[in-house]
Amino acid sequence: MTTVGSPAGAVRRPGTTTSAYPRYLAGRLGGAAVSLFAVLVTSFFLFRIIPGDPVKAMTHGMPTSAAQMATLRRQFGLDLPLWQQFTDYCAKALTGDLGMSYQFRAPVGELIAQKLPATLLLTGVAVVLYSALGLWLGTRTAWRHGGLGDRLHTGVALTLWSVPSFWLGLLLIIVFSVGVGPVPGMFPTGGMESGGDTGLAYVLDVAHHMVLPVLTLVAVGYAQTLLVMRASLLDEMGGDYLTTARAKGLRDDLVRRRHAVPNALLPTVTMIFINLGHVAAGSILVETVFSWPGLGGLFYQALSVPDLPLVQGLFVVFAGAMIVMNLLADLLYPLLDPRVGR
Amino acid sequence: MVIMAPHRSLRLLLATGTVAASLLTTALAAGSPARAVAADGAAGADEGDGKTVLTVAVSQSVDSLSPFLAQRLVSTSLHRLTYEYLTNYDAKDARTIPGLATAWKPSPDKLTWTYTIRDDSTWSDGKPATAEDAAWTFTKMMTDENAATANGSFTANFEKVTAPDARTLVIKLKKPQATMTALDVPIVPKHVWEKVGDFSKFNNDKQFPIVGNGPFVITDYKVDQYVRLEPNKTFWRGAPAFDELVLRYYKDGDAAVAALRKGEVSFVPNLTPAQAASLKSAENIKVNDAPGRRFFALATNPGARSKDGKKFGSGHPALLDPAVRRALFHAVDRKTIVDKVFQGHAVEGEGYIPPRFGTYFWKPEGAQKIDYSPARAGQLLDKAGYRKNGSGKRVGKDGRPLDFRILCHATDPNDKAVGKYLQEWWGELGIGLKVDCLDNVSDPWLKGDYDLAFDGWSVNPDPDFVLSIHTCGALPATPKDTGATDNFICDKQYDELYAAQAVEYDPAARAGLVKRLQSRLYDTGYMNVMAYPNAVEAYRTDHIASITTMPAAGGNIYGQDGYWSWWSAKPAAEADGGGDSGSPARLWLVLGPAALVLLAAGVFAAVRRRTTADDRE
Amino acid sequence: MTSLTWTRRRASVARFWRRYRRRRAGLYGLGALVLIALAALAAPLLVGGDVQSVTHAPGTALEPPSREFPLGTDQFGRSLSGLLLWGARVSLAVGLLAAALSVAIGTLIGVLAGHYGGWFATVAMRVTDWFLVMPSLVLAIVLATVMSRSMWTVILAIGITSWPTTARLVRAQTIAVESRPYIERAKALGGGHRHVMTRHVLPNVMPLVLSQTTLCISTAILTEATLAFLGLGDPTVVSWGGMLQDARETGAVSSGHWWYLAPPGIAIAVVALAFTLCGRAVESVLNPRLGAGR
Repeated sequence: MTTVGSPAGAVRRPGTTTSAYPRYLAGRLGGAAVSLFAVLVTSFFLFRIIPGDPVKAMTHGMPTSAAQMATLRRQFGLDLPLWQQFTDYCAKALTGDLGMSYQFRAPVGELIAQKLPATLLLTGVAVVLYSALGLWLGTRTAWRHGGLGDRLHTGVALTLWSVPSFWLGLLLIIVFSVGVGPVPGMFPTGGMESGGDTGLAYVLDVAHHMVLPVLTLVAVGYAQTLLVMRASLLDEMGGDYLTTARAKGLRDDLVRRRHAVPNALLPTVTMIFINLGHVAAGSILVETVFSWPGLGGLFYQALSVPDLPLVQGLFVVFAGAMIVMNLLADLLYPLLDPRVGR
Repeated sequence: MVIMAPHRSLRLLLATGTVAASLLTTALAAGSPARAVAADGAAGADEGDGKTVLTVAVSQSVDSLSPFLAQRLVSTSLHRLTYEYLTNYDAKDARTIPGLATAWKPSPDKLTWTYTIRDDSTWSDGKPATAEDAAWTFTKMMTDENAATANGSFTANFEKVTAPDARTLVIKLKKPQATMTALDVPIVPKHVWEKVGDFSKFNNDKQFPIVGNGPFVITDYKVDQYVRLEPNKTFWRGAPAFDELVLRYYKDGDAAVAALRKGEVSFVPNLTPAQAASLKSAENIKVNDAPGRRFFALATNPGARSKDGKKFGSGHPALLDPAVRRALFHAVDRKTIVDKVFQGHAVEGEGYIPPRFGTYFWKPEGAQKIDYSPARAGQLLDKAGYRKNGSGKRVGKDGRPLDFRILCHATDPNDKAVGKYLQEWWGELGIGLKVDCLDNVSDPWLKGDYDLAFDGWSVNPDPDFVLSIHTCGALPATPKDTGATDNFICDKQYDELYAAQAVEYDPAARAGLVKRLQSRLYDTGYMNVMAYPNAVEAYRTDHIASITTMPAAGGNIYGQDGYWSWWSAKPAAEADGGGDSGSPARLWLVLGPAALVLLAAGVFAAVRRRTTADDRE
Repeated sequence: MTSLTWTRRRASVARFWRRYRRRRAGLYGLGALVLIALAALAAPLLVGGDVQSVTHAPGTALEPPSREFPLGTDQFGRSLSGLLLWGARVSLAVGLLAAALSVAIGTLIGVLAGHYGGWFATVAMRVTDWFLVMPSLVLAIVLATVMSRSMWTVILAIGITSWPTTARLVRAQTIAVESRPYIERAKALGGGHRHVMTRHVLPNVMPLVLSQTTLCISTAILTEATLAFLGLGDPTVVSWGGMLQDARETGAVSSGHWWYLAPPGIAIAVVALAFTLCGRAVESVLNPRLGAGR
């Protein structure tokens, strides 16, 4: 996710509306429903343009007879006309059934449910950490903008943001997993657990495996929060009401903290929600580099077959997460910001 | 409104924290039940201490644990370890030796095979393995098409399979079949599998341990993470020496090698030349560089067609000219490919079947051989009428320049590397080459939309399959169908030889026919083997004291034709379960960063509170 | 009239430059970019086209840095420093073209939607919203997988997936511009849609487009590297992302060949950073409201 959108450009403010909140709510809910449906439909057709017969691709290089292929095709429902495949897909999708994976012979929903916790854990922790770090540093740098600390922090954040995350991950593996010179290989090279542990030992084991991937995601990701927080805080600090507050005799930093920071938080919160929406799809690269058993790896694997139901299912989950989080951001925004929606 | 502000930000922070905490707990909660199961599965084994564990890094994920569905190498290797097949291959020279069957005999009319089933093989749940199990397995594959998904080609020619008694299995054939001593089909326990309803959906991964009769029993499996196996104490050939065998999944080859260096895993297959070179100097690691079972070839499109005689695809017509194909192969420096691309970890290509299978290996001699000679290639092209034009490009009589496409697997670094060399070698000849790298090459391939392609197959001890894919019978029925054909080759002489070897039950005579087949294939000039890549792998000598390779002298370890490697592996004296880093150390590594974060947060909060306190004054 | 416009334009460029000059970070970024661009342009003179040849590679495989090969060699024995220089051409070209494509699509849709309004705007903005919620890396990966491996595929995949932000910004700006009185006047004087859009709206959204492009380029370069790293780039062309992928495929990470892995990554980071710095400087000059010392 760090490779898309400029650090300051990703914030989307819902249009200022004068209508009452319920109407706003209904509008947003309706929009989200339409988006979800559009995602369902497009994901079906988008992946039909992937060239290649999945059955041929799966059996290429294996002793397979024509009869076996016909059986596979029938099992996957690929012998039906496209429109029938589509109606079947839609009918099933509405009941929450995303179909059957070609390569794993298991329900797509089940496969995704199996991998989702790992991805949520990794990216969830990373998003929370880098949002917190970004908020904190963003506030600090804005308070003392123009100073040495500000320039230093902004510079470091921008530099890390420009680094390809997979490359940083590989370097971290070389340095902290394999070990370089005096640095011992402290962390595991990949995976989520060593296996064989239970209870607290298991929790520690997973946390131990998480250190490097989380570090990578945080390093590359916190710049965005920092910059948005900093910019909107600076924006607020020029506001008239602060002058008024100051005129009332309130101390400078109190004015900032009580008045400027909460208002400046709004765009940042929106962005954090959008980042949370990215949680599902966000770590394809880091999962690849660290062999993390999550959705990113599953997606990449599914795409190369192509395992159409699995690719579709994952796409729906990825886009669905974005839609839901955008919706939440939209819904929360007017509640947080008195200037919007009331 | 303004006064509410601090609360709001506090609430927000709280919310953020709650989200983090709930994410953490959800994920951990989702993880822990599975762990508990694993612990149950490993019942009796004392956790950690004194247990010898052999950990193998694998890069492929398991497609299915059902022998009726599994097609990937990692899955079929697992089945080799957990189910006995009728026959096995000797580790020394890959000749057929007894497996579940102790003896076998064809009838004089070659249509009935009788196998004697051993009486000392038992399923891991205590029931004896009998001829009835074998007959049921084969019959299931013949009668239920969902059960034929993975290995149906073996039973396609079966008429009837019966078990007159517990020790006798009789297979009646429709026509003679030379591969009857190489039926690589896992025999499953009837009493477990007859309860399965839909074979197309049953993945055999819900109940552990999985009942089998091979040297190992699968006790636990987590998708894309690991497969855990324990020795089958009652295995008739003797139980394996390690207390546990774990196949651990690594998406990234470098991560696997790093894990080997650290001792997290004991064995890593498929090393790159650079990895092999750097591991050679590593302590306690042995690099095993063995002849492989694959060939790496150039295939030219001979004009794709189907059995009904229809032509299709877009192969370059110039490639139908034998002189052009010969010229192309003359301009391929196989030695450079072995030296530069494989860094010496390969053997120069000759015939079709790799030298590892000595019985069937054939190579061209003298005038038959197309050696590296760009000059000869130029002469051939000149003579055939493809002369260089003003800009140095070869152009045919029809005015069409020799510009070819080559299909390459985007995931195979060797394809891409060799493609670069071919571009330059053929470029000097005046021939253009576009390297078309795709994730999924099978589509243009099966449509005949290619000029050249990188081709490669893994060869089994019985070569029947890799030979069958070049017969006319393997062509698709119509352009819309898919055949088993590799490269649309259809040659009458080749077909006659193939048919002759398929029914030849005398090994020596069959080997002779197979060699003549390869000679014919070479002469058609549609395929040219560039190299036989080695199997390059490494293991930790402080985990594994000894291990059987296949062939026994200088052979490979991963993906053998039997279960010899893991069955025979002996733990090294000081092996302590795959280098588990001690818990206290791990505790610190986790707590360290966590403490730092807490400290930072604490300082932040403290500073905040102090200033707030100031304000309150 | 034209010379008057010309003078006015030149004056505004000069004013822009005077303001830009005051942003130190922007100057650093610009300096770095000029240097890198010069090096990339001069690559044929500095190292020669032969640097990509595998059959005439001067070294042996994977040599560590030496006097002859300052950054060592790759698995074919080619000089990595030469390849790094040569790769700059591809990486920069892909970054520039993809960003240009993305901004072009975004500007077109933004201006049209802002100008015409009505159902067209509704549909266009729905599509834009749809693209905004799509995880764009996922979409780019899908597109790159679907099409054959080439530089153009990568450019297209990046361009098609990254335009929505620009479209939204440009639409807002267009609406703002069109509400100004002189547009009314132009319309009253008989200026058609085309005239209004090209003569009045476009020049006024140009500054925004410029800063958006600069910011887009660094994203595009990073995405190019990402796609190449996932094996979705053109394997016959040397780019920085492709070099990283090559390094990984040869096993440079576990073999400890840091000299193969480090330079391309650093190069990507430097260029991406330089474009970001320039973009931020341009943005703060053109849009001073945002620019409270950013």
